This record gives sequence, structure tokens and C-alpha cells, in this order.
Amino acid sequence: MKSLGSIRNDFAPWREPQAQPFIRFEAITKRFGQFNAVDDLSLSIFKGEFFALLGASGCGKSTLLRMLAGFETPTSGRVILDGDDLAGIPPYRRPVNMMFQSYALFPHMSVAKNIAFGLKREGMPKGEIAARVEQVLKLVKLQDYARRRPDQLSGGQRQRVALARSLAKRPKVLLLDEPLGALDKKLREETQFELTDLQYELGTTFIMVTHDQEEAMTMADRIAVMDKGRIVQVATPAEIYEAPKSRFVADFVGDVNLFDGTVQAVDRGRITLQTSAGSPFTVTSDVAVSNGQAVTFVLRPEKLRIAAEPLSGANVLEGEVWDIAYVGPVTSFHIRLANGAVVKVAMINATRESPLQLTWHDRAWLQFDEDAGLVLTA
Amino acid sequence: MRQGLSKINVVGLVVGFSFLYLPIVLLVIFSFNASRLVTVWAGFSTVWYRQLWHNQALLDAAWVTLRVGLISASVATLLGTMAALALSRYPRFFGRTLMTGMVYAPLVMPEVITGLSLLLLFVALDLNRGFVTITLAHISFTMCFVTVVVQSRLMSFDRSLEDAAMDLGATPTVTFFQVTLPLIWPAVAAGWMLAFTLSLDDLVIASFTTGPGATTLPMKIYSQVRLGVTPEINAVCTILIAIVSTGVIVATLINKRRLILQARDERLAAAG
Repeated sequence: MKSLGSIRNDFAPWREPQAQPFIRFEAITKRFGQFNAVDDLSLSIFKGEFFALLGASGCGKSTLLRMLAGFETPTSGRVILDGDDLAGIPPYRRPVNMMFQSYALFPHMSVAKNIAFGLKREGMPKGEIAARVEQVLKLVKLQDYARRRPDQLSGGQRQRVALARSLAKRPKVLLLDEPLGALDKKLREETQFELTDLQYELGTTFIMVTHDQEEAMTMADRIAVMDKGRIVQVATPAEIYEAPKSRFVADFVGDVNLFDGTVQAVDRGRITLQTSAGSPFTVTSDVAVSNGQAVTFVLRPEKLRIAAEPLSGANVLEGEVWDIAYVGPVTSFHIRLANGAVVKVAMINATRESPLQLTWHDRAWLQFDEDAGLVLTA
Repeated sequence: MRQGLSKINVVGLVVGFSFLYLPIVLLVIFSFNASRLVTVWAGFSTVWYRQLWHNQALLDAAWVTLRVGLISASVATLLGTMAALALSRYPRFFGRTLMTGMVYAPLVMPEVITGLSLLLLFVALDLNRGFVTITLAHISFTMCFVTVVVQSRLMSFDRSLEDAAMDLGATPTVTFFQVTLPLIWPAVAAGWMLAFTLSLDDLVIASFTTGPGATTLPMKIYSQVRLGVTPEINAVCTILIAIVSTGVIVATLINKRRLILQARDERLAAAG
């Protein structure tokens, strides 16, 4: 497989056939009344992974996390952690800790007491507790705040205390429920990198639940995209984005143009597609298709070129500028084709001055390379 | 916004406050009256307060009231808090709606009916009426007030705090005593105060369930007033008012202090 994205993955135990998974969900179903929150789901997560469960609200991702923490019991199936079946083990005896979305800091205790809470339950001697508290506070850069109470901290500091508290017991697995959901954008971006660095440093397995695809893509080694209690695809962020397995994943992660087409001809990895967008597309694909088959062609907006005058060659689309949004690094165009479909194009603003001058209702021409898109049969 | 009060606001305030407090002010003033006649002012005196200390019947009644109040408020708080926890923690157990309704019903039940039904129960059980029956009756009618107060606190309680405690290794019992109870403590204390106050000034239910030798202060006052109001009664009432208002003022000051501390915390948090 050619490399997707521009990151070389040296850590990829999921590609090694002899690697043993650290956490295994085996045919897990969780039913609430008539509703299947999690539906016959199986998943393996490896030691040291930063794993993200990504999905819209109600897709079952939080339920899955809560089953690992012990707050929910699976209706059927098994959860196995480091070789042990977790069935019947209450949350307070599981070697996992969770960072809650609301942080759940105890408001009547100081920062230090919050962090020491779990250590005291273990019966750790006082001196050791003090040392460990100091160590984790240093880890999250809050040494000077040990005696403050949670309501004397800012949102970002609270988030770090919650992180420190959940790491203090050195869990085998750290569960993060929408860890950055309550932070503003700027702080969120900073924290994303801090969290990944921390995870790398500690080597602890992290499992994160999020509905924010950017958050999942920035931090996770692998992402499981979930829908209606099932996993739709498990892959690295680059694979999820560049090689989605289904229309749902392509549409859920990032901006996308989807063309419904019919296969007109197949010739050694090159497919000619008839769509309602204009002249047939010629694209390369290793998907096995036959003439006349209905497929979906997936094309990300940044993989199209835009011009103000007619373009020659294959894979050209013509339309009218319907909308323009300048957002700094890219300019987004919405081009309306003759058939009424709107194609999204993202032009990278690689230079300060652009030779392209377009305004609303101008004619515009688009072109993409043969290998720019993806043919999906699902 | 206009500054100051308009005429109609001033009139409203004066009329409102007079309506509420004039009777009480009169009562306090006449408790310091030197005359034996309640409505004739004959100079300032504290004689009735001194005389109180020698009125053994009144002191006995006060002692009974205090004991009933302390015991019934404490037991009612325990039971009421447990009921509130059960009602808010297990949202879908069998008969929940019925039980919630039944907890609220005594709040609006006429006291005469509560008193009468308790009396019938004690007679049926062949319990000797007296201190024990009054205490039991007070527990039963103040418990629901505690439940309502504690339950409203639990509604705004972040359940993930308890999840977090358990996640960090605390058993359900430890979680309750280390996390839940300290956080709902103000509501539990408020429930206790409410139960105590209700027990303190209950006349109707106590009258139904009392027996020989167990006369509470409200019963004593009521029976004396029927023979004519004495300045001594005014003095007792003034002391009661003083106790209650001290409680209210202390509670207000504590609350005010908390608000000030909270404002300081918020400034600290903003400063980083």
C-alpha cells in the first residue's frame, strides 16, 4: 500500500500478525430497553495505542467506554483487558481510570486532595502519596496550584487537574470522554499536542471518545468510526480520510464531494465513469468493478484545481461560482454544475497574492488527477 | 432605571411590612410591660422574664418541646435523606411515581387529618400516648419536608462525581461518605432545621398524639391564652422570636460569606 497522508507510522502493532491485543471487545451488545446502544461489536486495541472512538452523539461510543470502565454491564459479549475477562468486576476494582467530560473534580477538596483520592483508596503510605501527587502535578505543569480548590481554577487548569487525577494511579488504560470538549478553540489546539506528547512519554494506552473528527485525527494512532452501535471502519487518521471504506465514513470525516456514477469501461486499473456531472471521468482504482455497476466516486475539495478559463485534458468540470469563503489558509469555492449539483473546491493559499480572480456568478473550470479520488462500491 | 423609590413603592413597603411585623412588634413591646394588664402600658420592666424562670410548668413544656424537636428532626433527617437518595438514584424502580406522590402528599395534607390518623394508629397499636408518640408523629410529618429539600439538591448533583470516585477505587459506601454526603450536606442541614422548626411550633398534631405528662410549649401557651393573655406568654414568645431570628441571621451571614468567597474564587480563577 502506498503511504497515505505524510506521516510514517513506526508504531503500528495492528499491522503485525503476531501482536497480542491489550483490550478486546468480543461481540459486545448493550441493549437499553428496545434500543441497541452497542450492537454485536468486536474491537481490538493494542498496548500503548492512542485510540479514538469517533461518532455522532448516540452512536454508542460513550456506552462502549463506560462498559470498559465498569459503569455499564454488557447485555452480551466479553470485555477482555490484558488477558482478564472484566465481567463482574466493579468499577472500583478495574485497573482503568477515566477522565470525565465534566472533569468531575470534587469541589470540596483541594487539587492535591483530588489527586490523592484514588491513591488513598489503594492504601498507599502518606509519604508516597505526597510524592506521587507532586509528580503528576509537575507532569501537567500545575505544581503551584496544589492547595487551590477546583472553583479557583480556570477551565484549562481544571482539565489538567482531571488529567492528573486520572493518571495518578498509573492505570493500565486511560479513558478520556470528550477530553477537550469544554475548552475554547485556541486552548484546545494547544492541549491536543500536550496530550499526545504526554501519552507518548508515559506509554499508557489511551482510549478517547469524541464527536470532533479534528480532535480524533490530531491525537489518535487509530480511529474507530462508529454509527448506530457498530464500527464502520477502524484505521489510521490518514486512511480514514484518504481511503474511507464507505460513503458514510467519507461523508462523516471531512468535507467531500460524492458523485453517483456507473462504470462504463474498465481497463487495467483505469475506470471510465459516467456521472450526471458532465463528460465521463477517467480514474485509477484497484477496486474490482464490472461494466454497468453503480459506484460512488469520492473526491475531497482540496484535490481539485480551479481556473477562470477553460481547461483542456480529462476530468474537467464546468460550472458557475455559487459561493466563496476565504478562511486564511484556504479559499473555499462552491461551484454549481449544469446538472444543479454543487462541487466544493478548496484552494490552498500558498502565496499571498493569487493570480486567480473570481467572483460570484463567474464561470469556473475544475480539474482533478486520475488518482485524486476514490471509487467506492459501498 | 430611575434612582430611588416612587411614592407608591414607599406606601407598598410600609403597608407590607406593617402587615407582617406590627403584631410581632406589639408582642415584643408588651413583653417588657410592667403592668399585668396586657393592653395598658405602665413602664419598662423585665419582671416577666425573671418570673419565667420560676414557672416550672412552662420550663417543663419547653424542655419537652426541645427534646421532641431534636430527636424527631434528627430521625426525620436520616429517613428523609435516605428516601430522597432512593427516589433520585433509582429513576425507574417499580412504584416510583406512586412513592414520589406519596412523599409529597403529607405536605398538603390537613394537619387535623394527619393528627387524627396518627392517633387512631397509636390507639390501634395500644401505644401509651406521651413523649414517644409525639416524637413518632413529628418524625412522620417532618420527614417529607426533609425529602423534598434533599431531593431538590440531588437533582442538580453531578452524578459523574460519584462515577469518578468509584473509578478511582472508592466502594459505594466510601463514595457516599467521602463525596456525596459532604456535597449535599447543606441541604441535609437545611432539612434538619426545617424539621426542627416545624416540630417546635406544631400544635395540632401534638394535641392529637399527646398524653399525660407530655405537654409541648405551643400546647402550654395555647392553653394559658385561653385563660387570658399574660405578659409572661409575651415574654416566652419574644424569646422564641429571638431564637428563630438569630438562626435566620446566622444562616444569612454564612450564605453571604460563601458568596463573597465564591466571588473571590472566581477572580482567582480568572487571574489564572
